[in-house]
Amino acid sequence: MRQIFVRAIGGVALAALVLGGAAACKQDEGGTEGGSASKVCDLKIGFFGALSGGDAGLVTPGKQAADLAVKQYNAEHADCKVSIQAYDSQGKPELAGGLATSAVGDAKVVGIVGPAFSGESETANPIFQQAGLPVITQSATRPSLADNGWAIFHRGVGNDFSQGPAAAAYIKSINAAKVFVVDDQSAYGAGLADEVKKALGATVVASDKATDNQQDFSAIVTKVTSSGATALFYGGYTEEASPFLKQLRAGGYKGTFVGGDGIYDANMLSVTGNADVEGAVATCPCAPATTAKGTFVQDFKAEFNAEPGVYADVAYDLTKIYLEAIGEGKSSRADIQAFLKSYNKAGSATGVTYKWDDKGELDPAQVRVWSYIAKNGAWAPDKEIPKA
Amino acid sequence: MNELINGFPVLTVTGLTQGAIYALVALGYTLVYGVLRLINFAHSDVFMIGTFGAIWTWSAFGFDANSPRPSVGGALGLIALAIVVAAILCGIFAMLVEVTAYRPLRARNAPPLAFLITAIGASFVLSEGMAAFTNRRQFGVPAMLPTDPLFSIGSWQVTPLQLTTIAVAILMMVALDWFVQRTKFGRGIRAVAQDANTAALMGVNKNRVILLVFLIGGLMAGVAAVLSDMKAASTRFNVGFLIGLKAFAAAVLGGIGNLRGAALGGILLGLAENYGSAVFGTNFRDFIGFLVLILLLMFRPTGLLGESLGRARA
Amino acid sequence: MLLEVDNITLLYGRIQALHGITVHVNEGEIVALIGANGAGKTTTMRAVSGVRAIASGRIRFNGVDITRMRADLRVIQGICQSPEGRGVFPGMTVRENLEMGAYTRKDTGNIAKDMDHVLDLFPRLRERFKQAGGTLSGGEQQMLAVGRALMSRPKLLLLDEPSMGLAPMLIQQIFEIITEINQRDGTTILLVEQNAQQALSRAHRAYVLETGSIVKEGTGQELLHDPAVKDAYLGVA
Repeated sequence: MRQIFVRAIGGVALAALVLGGAAACKQDEGGTEGGSASKVCDLKIGFFGALSGGDAGLVTPGKQAADLAVKQYNAEHADCKVSIQAYDSQGKPELAGGLATSAVGDAKVVGIVGPAFSGESETANPIFQQAGLPVITQSATRPSLADNGWAIFHRGVGNDFSQGPAAAAYIKSINAAKVFVVDDQSAYGAGLADEVKKALGATVVASDKATDNQQDFSAIVTKVTSSGATALFYGGYTEEASPFLKQLRAGGYKGTFVGGDGIYDANMLSVTGNADVEGAVATCPCAPATTAKGTFVQDFKAEFNAEPGVYADVAYDLTKIYLEAIGEGKSSRADIQAFLKSYNKAGSATGVTYKWDDKGELDPAQVRVWSYIAKNGAWAPDKEIPKA
Repeated sequence: MNELINGFPVLTVTGLTQGAIYALVALGYTLVYGVLRLINFAHSDVFMIGTFGAIWTWSAFGFDANSPRPSVGGALGLIALAIVVAAILCGIFAMLVEVTAYRPLRARNAPPLAFLITAIGASFVLSEGMAAFTNRRQFGVPAMLPTDPLFSIGSWQVTPLQLTTIAVAILMMVALDWFVQRTKFGRGIRAVAQDANTAALMGVNKNRVILLVFLIGGLMAGVAAVLSDMKAASTRFNVGFLIGLKAFAAAVLGGIGNLRGAALGGILLGLAENYGSAVFGTNFRDFIGFLVLILLLMFRPTGLLGESLGRARA
Repeated sequence: MLLEVDNITLLYGRIQALHGITVHVNEGEIVALIGANGAGKTTTMRAVSGVRAIASGRIRFNGVDITRMRADLRVIQGICQSPEGRGVFPGMTVRENLEMGAYTRKDTGNIAKDMDHVLDLFPRLRERFKQAGGTLSGGEQQMLAVGRALMSRPKLLLLDEPSMGLAPMLIQQIFEIITEINQRDGTTILLVEQNAQQALSRAHRAYVLETGSIVKEGTGQELLHDPAVKDAYLGVA
């Protein structure tokens, strides 16, 4: 049943892609003319990712940070404001196509922060590429995203080539002799788990695969407990990781649970519950947002009355790059794309130097992977994992 | 293969537990099909509402995913209460679906396709309604029963949750079987299933029987929802989809329209999935489950026990 | 008058099956409807029991207008039909089938006694008491259908083709029982039959139907000796 819907949506997206692409071409011409004559106002920056659903905890802090950056910008440019246009994909690839098409169709949208996840990126980015709409993702870490020849693609964080080995290094550092690896068969989860397996080699005693929306993990739990593993790496997102971890604990698994940035969100804590999530480890190619530089943490707290969550600082810096371009009078998608290609500055919150290579990747030397440990109902920054 | 042999006792017990949940949900499909020849796709979402009913009940008593485990007595009380609330909630929603979606179609003698589309539509209305209402969030289930094994015989261990799940499921199925086979209302249900016109000539009010069937299916789904909550440890608006599909498959496996068949089909499916996952990997779990279904139907097109609510007992 | 059927018409889709049928049944009578296949006998019966809705006309029962009443509520009023083709519930035992006949009764204390009475009328059913209805022979199913209808203690018993498909000896037996039910229990009976000979000799009064209309009425004996009826329905030269 759902298959049919997915196909139907796919068909609509394809049709819209052709139409939208044509519209966008016209827009580009108009934009260049307008840019030389006078300043274009009311431009929009799209924010694309799971703003609702089980994985929203990974994405909403970034949305808040983007809102904050725009608010600060507008306070200084009251005569020519910018706004954030949210595209709530729920993290689902099958919804991403339609949303990407509507973003492309809105001529005021000149750049995208996101898509936040790898799976939805694979659906949405070809549509953005077609329309020449630049994207900078704050958290889609699957390495192969950079291999599609999408000129519009930029990654504001390290990919899983950095995160995978770092997660493996972490597991080695806790001296786990037997490791069990599970992934959710998503673009992100399987990619990350493969990197971890590669880096750990023979210490991986067994592996298994979960499925999207899985609720009953009894067979995997049995395999994990009977394997005698003392550490488990899970490549995937909170929606499945949380019930999986709880069922692991109920099934008697006492070892360490390690996941990637896909589980580094507040829902992982609140849905799993403190008792079972305590001691779980998440790696993330992101420094703790709470230790971000400049006045970001202060400003974020003042605005939202909460600590900045995962990827908030990254999304803040990425949004500011777009705002900088707009502030300099860049008002067409093509101009902003060119602006990104030649960009080379450090972000005010992350301190990372944003300079992209031809494939849209940052210099690997810039990438820092941190480990976070669930303690008393919060993700406590543990350490920056040293490079192997 | 080693994993199947080593893990056989645990896989069997957990498979039976999951199968018991499938079986309870399957009863709702099979009852409605037996009486109306209708596949009530909204049943899976009635189940989903039950999973929330339990969570709301527990949260009303201050229990969320972070709460410490209550005492065993307290846990049993809270579980019983959640079962009552979820069962009533599901019963009400199941009857609402019948009265608002299907009954008007019957009154107008709508063609079967209209029923099918309405069933799918009702399913989406419930799940997307809940999605909007809960902002598509995932909810953790508070810890209830202790997780240490209650008793073990050799390498066979049974946890309190597994025992509770299987015991409650058996209790519900025995009660339902008694109700349908031994009471006057049960006879009314069977009469409508076997020959609706003659049943009317005996004074059976068909619409009332149909409402009763939806109510019973809802009650069973509500009980299953609480058991599933405790096993899966989280819920969200779309949990009904997969479990509903499995339960429906279980109903067909056992012989749709046949109550005992639904129970047998659910348990077989739960076991097959677990054994299959152990041998081939969990990514083959649904593949195995449905492969078993297709193969079985090739050799026994009416399912394991045939369609007995509607026809002669085989 | 117990039953008054006043000028009813009935449609099957666009085809008119009944063209203004008027029939009445007095308390304590056996009334027969006879006629060829497709004359409208069974359709008339269905209109009375409420399985089919009529297009026009009125039906009154025991002083109550039941024209628009649902079939299951007419049972509570005291009309019970043994349908054509018997309608035995195949998955229920003989006992359960009989209990279905008593479905609407509130006086649960008397049900066991009535079941005993029915089993006395049909000793074969006692032998088959725990057997599924679907496994009975045709004659046994017919007995079960009649017995089941009696279990509702009807004021008016509608019997649709009780002799259909039965061996001659069984036909004789079933009509004897019908007479017995009428005489001993005082149950009023409306009977549809193709076996006109038996029906007319047992009935107090009878109606002859042709293509959805009544062409003749009279006492059973009158019609039994009516040359036209003899010629058309009794198959005697």
